[in-house]
Amino acid sequence: MGELNYIYAPESPLTEQFRCRVPMKGTRQLFVVNGGVQGTRTPLSISLEKGQVMEEVLQVISVRTEGSPLEIAYKNNLHFGEGSQARIVLCSHTFTLDKFVTDEEVDITLDDRAVVDVVVMQNEHNEATHNTRFNITAGAGSVLKISFLTLHGGNIDNKVRVDINGEGANVDLSGLYLVDGKQMVSNSVEMNHNVPNCISSQLYKGVLDNDAVAKFSGIIYVKQDAQKIEAYQANHNLLLSERAKIHTEPQLEIYADDVKCSHGATIGRLDENELFYLRSRGVPMKEAKILQQMAFAYSVLEKISNAELRERMENLVEKRLRGEFSNCKDCSKNCC
Amino acid sequence: MEGNKMLTIKDLHAKVGDKEILKGINLNVKEGEIHAIMGPNGSGKSTLSSVLAGRDTFEVTEGEVIMDGKNLLELTPEERSWAGVFLGFQYPIEIPGVSNVNFMKSAVNEHRKQKGLEPLTSAQFLKLMREKMAIVGMDSSFSSRGVNVGFSGGEKKRNEIFQMAMLEPRLAILDETDSGLDVDALRIVATGVNNLKRPDNAFIVITHYQRLLDYIVPDVVHILYKGRIIKTAGKELALEVEQRGYDWLING
Repeated sequence: MGELNYIYAPESPLTEQFRCRVPMKGTRQLFVVNGGVQGTRTPLSISLEKGQVMEEVLQVISVRTEGSPLEIAYKNNLHFGEGSQARIVLCSHTFTLDKFVTDEEVDITLDDRAVVDVVVMQNEHNEATHNTRFNITAGAGSVLKISFLTLHGGNIDNKVRVDINGEGANVDLSGLYLVDGKQMVSNSVEMNHNVPNCISSQLYKGVLDNDAVAKFSGIIYVKQDAQKIEAYQANHNLLLSERAKIHTEPQLEIYADDVKCSHGATIGRLDENELFYLRSRGVPMKEAKILQQMAFAYSVLEKISNAELRERMENLVEKRLRGEFSNCKDCSKNCC
Repeated sequence: MEGNKMLTIKDLHAKVGDKEILKGINLNVKEGEIHAIMGPNGSGKSTLSSVLAGRDTFEVTEGEVIMDGKNLLELTPEERSWAGVFLGFQYPIEIPGVSNVNFMKSAVNEHRKQKGLEPLTSAQFLKLMREKMAIVGMDSSFSSRGVNVGFSGGEKKRNEIFQMAMLEPRLAILDETDSGLDVDALRIVATGVNNLKRPDNAFIVITHYQRLLDYIVPDVVHILYKGRIIKTAGKELALEVEQRGYDWLING
């Protein structure tokens, strides 16, 4: 990893209580402050050489702090050379209650046979707006897995465009969005199957409470010659209040004739029979509902392959569902 | 020796929508007793058990249910559980994503909390769980699986008895626990119940058939018909029903 030239910065002056400073086992941390990598102040740019295997997980912690313009825009670049392997965690936080607007672009390029695992964790305050465009290209035989965990944030917009350009590529996208209060979260996916013999799947799940609004818009586009591909898309939503709104738009556009594709969306409430069963054993209503919501979230959380990270995320999701983030003033409350 | 009074049901009426299903149930259960409730389909057996457990799809229009001095009808389902009521479901619910371990851990520790006890440590809990699973002959692999997900009919019923063993209720109501069970599974369920029987608890066993009562011997048998108990007698009544059916009771 010497080539990356980034500073391991555990002694960050960012904030004393910031729990994310404690790295997970086998994880290297890197801070991005207001769009610039700490130490270099330039946007994140990572390039793995052909065959390079990153043993450590790279955790990129992006924070917005006071003393910077409220609106910033920047572009990150993650390039994975042929046959390289990497695991990346991208976290974003807001340290002060300023009305931040962050416009971010992330290019992710997988050359042939690269294997990349990305977890995106978004935890910002209620006044923050964060728009991210992920431009992804996947080469032949490459394997990409990305999970988006949108835990908190005023207005979060994730747009993902994937171009599958090489045969045998496998792209797995998943997302979990937890939205309450007046928060808005939008996820859109454009999955372009440009070549034959590839697999893609999308699983997005949301839990919405209060007056929250979420959107999911996904399209699977299969080019005329992209035969024998498999592409799946699912969006499931749990509405906990009568005022919460979900707009979901699953779409397929297929120009090849020998493919397996599916798409589906559901909107529902907590199951009453399950709830009664849990309560009849003495689990109080509130706890029973948390158990049900955790169960709902589980199919996305289980996609996180790093066991320690998964456990951390499960804890965070549970805390979030218990409403422990709602009094969030800064990132000193261990919500990461 | 007569046990202490535990449950008193007085003139209980309940309806779903406009349809009255329970039309004045009277029942007294004492500590150490096993009551069997039998009756043809649609007589209100499952409604009675649901009402006792606090299912809100049924509306109680008249009557009272007193358990250990508490008005059960004023309690939420979880409060009834803490008060010692357990309902073994006729159709146990599948809950994908919630493991049996997490479910029971929440339930057991909540019961402890209500009694002012510290929660069990993971090690203590797993030990307890292993002991109780052994009682019903449940494989330990079931503990990490989603609640009842992919369980066979027999496995689901065993899981009910296992949960009962974990919670040690004062009053267990088993709603057609025998339905869909083969003889081996039936024997295991019955053995579980018999192991859990104590002088200070009680069972209400709701069943269609005499078969279960060969293994769980009741002290009192009630026949429920059209929302009323039309006959109450000793265990011999179950045998008589098995031989003669219900007609002689209904028309007699």
